[in-house]
Amino acid sequence: MSRGATLSVENLRTYFYTKDRQAFVRAVDGVDFKIETGETVGLVGESGSGKTMTALSILGLNAGDPGVISGTILYGNGSFEKNLLQDLGRYVQLRVEDGWVLEVRKDGRGWRRHSERLMRGIRGKEIAMIFQDPRGSLNPFVPVGKQIAEAVRLHAGIKDRREAREKALFWLEQVRIDSPGLRYDNYPYGLSGGMCQRVLIAMALASEPSLLIADEPTTGLDATIQAKVVDLLEELKSTVRVTTLLISHDIQVIRRLADRVAVMYGGGIMEYGAVRDTLAAEAASNHPYTAALLGCIPDRRHIRDKLPLQAIEGDVVDTLTIPEGCRFYPRCNQVHPEIRERCQGHEPELREISPGHWLRCWLFGD
Amino acid sequence: MGGMKQYRQTSRQGLKVGRLTFLRAAAPRDLVCVGYGLCIALVVVLSYILGFLKLLPYDPQDMDLTLMMVPPGASGHLLGTDFMGRDILARLILGTQAYFLPGLLGITIALSLGALFGILAGYRERTADRTISFVVNLIDSFPRLVLILLVIAAFKPDIYYIMVVVGITNVPTVASLIRGKIQFLRDKNFIEAAVAIGLNTRSIILKHILWYNCRSLLIIQATLGMAEAILIETSLSYLGFGVQEPTPSWGNMVLSGANYLLQGKFWLSTTPALAILVTILGFHLLGDGLNNILEAGGKK
Amino acid sequence: MARTILEVVDLRKHFSQRRRVFALGSSPQGIIPAVDGVSFYLKEHETLGLVGESGCGKTTVGKTILRLLPATSGKVLFDGRDILALSPADFRPLRKEMQIVFQDLDAGLNPKMRIRAILEEAVRVHYAMEGAQLRSRIKELLEQVNLKESTLGQFPHELSGGEKRRVGVARALAVGARFIVADEPTSALDVSIQAQVVNLFRNLQEALGLSYMFISHDLRMVELISHKVAVMYLGKIVELGLAGQIAHAPRHPYTQILWSSLVEKQNREVLAASLGGRSAKWGLFDFEHQTDGCRFSARCPVYQERGRPEVCTDPGAEPELRDSGTAHKVACHFPLC
Repeated sequence: MSRGATLSVENLRTYFYTKDRQAFVRAVDGVDFKIETGETVGLVGESGSGKTMTALSILGLNAGDPGVISGTILYGNGSFEKNLLQDLGRYVQLRVEDGWVLEVRKDGRGWRRHSERLMRGIRGKEIAMIFQDPRGSLNPFVPVGKQIAEAVRLHAGIKDRREAREKALFWLEQVRIDSPGLRYDNYPYGLSGGMCQRVLIAMALASEPSLLIADEPTTGLDATIQAKVVDLLEELKSTVRVTTLLISHDIQVIRRLADRVAVMYGGGIMEYGAVRDTLAAEAASNHPYTAALLGCIPDRRHIRDKLPLQAIEGDVVDTLTIPEGCRFYPRCNQVHPEIRERCQGHEPELREISPGHWLRCWLFGD
Repeated sequence: MGGMKQYRQTSRQGLKVGRLTFLRAAAPRDLVCVGYGLCIALVVVLSYILGFLKLLPYDPQDMDLTLMMVPPGASGHLLGTDFMGRDILARLILGTQAYFLPGLLGITIALSLGALFGILAGYRERTADRTISFVVNLIDSFPRLVLILLVIAAFKPDIYYIMVVVGITNVPTVASLIRGKIQFLRDKNFIEAAVAIGLNTRSIILKHILWYNCRSLLIIQATLGMAEAILIETSLSYLGFGVQEPTPSWGNMVLSGANYLLQGKFWLSTTPALAILVTILGFHLLGDGLNNILEAGGKK
Repeated sequence: MARTILEVVDLRKHFSQRRRVFALGSSPQGIIPAVDGVSFYLKEHETLGLVGESGCGKTTVGKTILRLLPATSGKVLFDGRDILALSPADFRPLRKEMQIVFQDLDAGLNPKMRIRAILEEAVRVHYAMEGAQLRSRIKELLEQVNLKESTLGQFPHELSGGEKRRVGVARALAVGARFIVADEPTSALDVSIQAQVVNLFRNLQEALGLSYMFISHDLRMVELISHKVAVMYLGKIVELGLAGQIAHAPRHPYTQILWSSLVEKQNREVLAASLGGRSAKWGLFDFEHQTDGCRFSARCPVYQERGRPEVCTDPGAEPELRDSGTAHKVACHFPLC
């Protein structure tokens, strides 16, 4: 049962072409990161940051959209390594005039077929995903236990029905669902949101994946349930030790579950490093966006002294109209006159300011 | 797919999202349908007005026995003359009188009663809904043709009476469409919000429900209603029940001209038949196209 | 000393259920007592936070107070008058005093109306304004909620989440509300926008002297913005007190569980105790399987610790809200100290 997977994302770009504006929506705009075996890497950001689109691009789930993906996604599993985006560029043609893209023609069917071929044996079996809407991801007409058993049969290579059922019951217990024997036959509507989410986690883990992608696993759940799910995930992290990509807008969740984190904004990574360096409340060096995000969360001081929260001016970025220069510049409150010109005109590169800690900001060195 | 980085073009500034963006988003096929339909509708209205004001190229009753059955284009008659020497074009134009007003009558009845019932059923509590649905279903279960024949037998074959019947039998369709729309809207809590700010029920219904949300629905039903009126009127006239000679109606023109088909004088029948086809098609396409554009294009 | 603007007395809202998909229903004749005897008062310029899990009835309380749902029984005294006793026609002019900001961002915004039309409508319901006067009032409203003038010409679907939320607030102000029920105003918004919205609420309270009922399951925000907090469970208020007290010195076991489940403060012991052993008692309660006596006993760690005392499950002895310290009330037979 190999759990040792690595995922290496290099220069991932997912763009969507909108005809009536003749422009690209740059949902994912040059993202690089690497997940080592057994590690949990978090992607944190707000809407429009590109974090969910990154996950979808990895899984090839947006094959049908009018989008184009470029870059390399290397999935390695000890025994093999594969680029999940191999040769996909063949199916897209651009009609260009004076350096301006007028039309994007995509062979949707060919793309989808090729993508399916690339992902065969990987999606579900090697890489499992947990989505945000737990109830929506379950088949409402099949008892939950059966759905887990089906995952076991499909992906964990256990063909015998009885054995699969045993496994399903095992996983139901692992995710702390009471009376697994009874709950096995429940339909999704009979379970609360939190329980559905746990069923999904069970399903994902029952497939014995080498990589787990969890997209907003706690969003939409009640506060107490969120805490319990996070608790569960933390426990599973130490027992099962799956390589995980965790996506969330909730910084607290990332703090507790992730080893390293990438802070995304407007499709790009602004900061990348170990959680204790990046998300510590009183971090010495942070990207202005990260600092601002942390400042938005009311802590004891805010509450005690009834201070106003440090809101970030403006609205979340529109990935259709990303300006030249630093993505975050229009909303940044740490710009000073000396670097203003650079912030406006040139996008900074990701720079390693201390071992393992990368920043994309002109404030931090040339 | 390298080289994507070079295409960092962002949205062209100044592209405003204006009032008519939904037109840009509409499929060309729908635009063509609507365009065609609008032309037809315009022609019909124009014909009605011309006929009403008697501004016709020739007097439709004027029989010029020297120019009987003249083919189209000859001797100054654009569409030829019929077996009595009367100008066909003029008679066609006058023919719109037979169905236009009755059609409007039918539409008005269907829409107003339908909207009324639909609103009552959709907006009120369960019992009102059930009662009205029952009444509406009752109406729906009457076979329209039988009713029409009954009316003809009981009264005279007056197209107005008939359109009243048609209007009433169309009420169920409109009512259920509106009711469905209201049920759908009720869950969207901008109705709740309208209540919250203190709007009275009448404003909510008239403004928020009917005007903003049922507009397109009603327009489409109107176009379909007109198409239906044409069909009914011309069918009745063709069968001899409708407008009688010498008053022209497209239906009776087809009927009387049929005798001369075998003689090779096809235009007596064919021109009115084509008129019927083209007009009904126009209204249907208008309704269909509008449906696709308005109902689908309102959302982003 | 500020006046009392709102007093709710024994408010009840029962939903009758028909044809439920799951069987069972221990409540008589299939009634869901979503709000079952809620009482509190709110002073001017104050914020009352209302917290609890999904389904506990907090949204229902808000809507019932504003008469968006018909109450089953009880009194709602606004400026001293029982608004539940008024006829719909008499009540309608009073609606301008009290408004709601819906949880759903698109609520209240007719997708076919432009923002200008939406706001103008709200103003014109209760005030006869036209032309230049109306335009300047709209401009004033936009400034108050920090919206750009360009939003006026847009449709709701063209706005971002934060902007839509602010239009909702502007609408409430347009009508002239003094009391606003904010139903989950920060949910479904990005963190940075949440901060903006909360700041906005606080600024408006200062500037315009508004009173709020702040319904939320975001405990930190509630603690930050509220003066008093009421904790609801299964249709009843189980604890009511000053925000600081509720958060740091709760008396009701449920309150303690709620606050210690904040993800970053995870208090293992308390949570483990609430689990009552292995697991179970997860997820939500349902009104279906009501316990007699104290509603919380099925999940209450104190109940377990004290060896399941009879009084907690005695149907005749349901705990009432009782004074327990300054401006603090608890409904529990064995409050924590």
